[in-house]
Amino acid sequence: MLLSSKNTEVMHIPDGYLSTPIWITLDLAAVPAIGWLTRRAQQEVDESRIPLLGVMGAFVFAAQMINFPVVPGTSNHLVGGALLAFALGPWAASLVMTAILAIQAFVFQDGGIMALGANTLNMALAGVWAAWIPYRRFGATKTGIFLGATLSVMVSGCLALTQLLLSGVHLPNALVATGTGVFAISALIEGAITVAVLGSIERINPGWVRRPNGDQNRVMGVLISAAIVLAVFGVLIASTAPDGLEKVAEHAGISSQATTLYKTALADYETHGLSSPWARKATAGLAGLAAIYATCLVIGVIIRRRTKAVSEPTRELAATR
Amino acid sequence: MHHVILERWSRTPSVVHARDARIKLLAAIIFLIVVATTPPMNWLCFSTYATALLIATLTARLPLPGLLKRAALVLPFSLVFGITTWLIGDHARAIGLFEKSYLSAWTALWLAGTTPLPRLLKAAEWFGVPRLLILTIQFLYRYLFVLSEQGQHMRLAAACRAGSQGTAKALFRAASGALAVLFARSYQRAEGINRAMYSRGFTGTFPAVTIGHLTAADAAFLALAIIPVVAVRFL
Repeated sequence: MLLSSKNTEVMHIPDGYLSTPIWITLDLAAVPAIGWLTRRAQQEVDESRIPLLGVMGAFVFAAQMINFPVVPGTSNHLVGGALLAFALGPWAASLVMTAILAIQAFVFQDGGIMALGANTLNMALAGVWAAWIPYRRFGATKTGIFLGATLSVMVSGCLALTQLLLSGVHLPNALVATGTGVFAISALIEGAITVAVLGSIERINPGWVRRPNGDQNRVMGVLISAAIVLAVFGVLIASTAPDGLEKVAEHAGISSQATTLYKTALADYETHGLSSPWARKATAGLAGLAAIYATCLVIGVIIRRRTKAVSEPTRELAATR
Repeated sequence: MHHVILERWSRTPSVVHARDARIKLLAAIIFLIVVATTPPMNWLCFSTYATALLIATLTARLPLPGLLKRAALVLPFSLVFGITTWLIGDHARAIGLFEKSYLSAWTALWLAGTTPLPRLLKAAEWFGVPRLLILTIQFLYRYLFVLSEQGQHMRLAAACRAGSQGTAKALFRAASGALAVLFARSYQRAEGINRAMYSRGFTGTFPAVTIGHLTAADAAFLALAIIPVVAVRFL
């Protein structure tokens, strides 16, 4: 049973947990997302490099064999989404994570088949990009690697928890808080492991670590990371609200006896959803996040201009010398 | 190991194993959708689903006790959520969590136990799953066992060298070193695979998938598998 992937750090949602509107929506969202990420990955990776993608996926599985002593009595191992992103780039890493999740669902019954859309969005997309975005801003520094790997696990875990809560799986607030705490600890451990492993990999062959190109900006990195954390926690906190969407989900998905179930469920979901207090809260939250994001962008642009303004004369000076 | 057993199951001869992978994938997905959308306390529906799975498992000549035990791996997870949901007073949903997660795991096992993964992937490609993803899954599955074995060897070797001695920091550093070595070996193995492929005449593109025609038996299987379940759910 060594390979039954005891991946306790990040939740693989099994089938039977998500309510109908939630899993249908997430599956429908995952289909174009996977198509898109595959196209982008295809542009970056030529066919002769496909074995590398598969073997790197197998590496993430095999990495579970190696335990890291962090908290006495527990075994921690690499989750791997962030490491894949740093080694293969975000698109290829998302593709490999999708492949891993598909194998886990179909071969190891770890995570459901109907929940594959949710798990893919949480781990292969959000998880990988939450790692890549800070990494891109900080460059291949310890801070960037640690922050990326930590955010990757944190974001995937919180999104899974949010979807479960939105599906009406009852969890007392204390348990949600405990769960989030556990995710935070696992996330920090993942950060530490990834920093250590990537350091060792760099010593073996620096060419195996992908260095992000484009302008690096620590302030932007901090702001974007903060925005990601706020977004994820904001949605999680909103989803613990006892009324609202959960009732709607129950009404739309579970008690609906209609034969055209899919259509009806979504129709109910939308009409009731918009008028529910949860939806209003969520909209307010999203608007808030958009404002934060816009602020980040503006600050980023200002900083970039300033650094350019400062660096250009010095560069000219250097050139004349 | 789990996948070895599944692999062996998926290659035993039976009427169900002989059916087209597309049909089995489609049947499994329709079944999973039906299970997922059934209200928790609908006993007639759930007993019909269980009976359908029982018949499907027995016709496929899969070992029933072994399969039921493996499907139960999902239960510890359900236990946590089931108990909290029960304690809060939503008994229907708590029961629903158990029913649905268990029947879904059983369905997934049935599918994996009657269809070898390469055929399942061909079917998935036929349904439009991107080719790059399919090829990645194929390579992943092929080298999963090779690399996992290597990982196990390294773990054993580390235990032989130092056991559980040394400070936590030293052990942590040793583990990260081991993982980096595993990464390096994986990377080099991928390059080796590439060279081997080219030396055997690989032109840079993978050949297109060929998949057989559906037979009347396949259609009959789909109808038999799905109609009773859909009927009891929606009528």
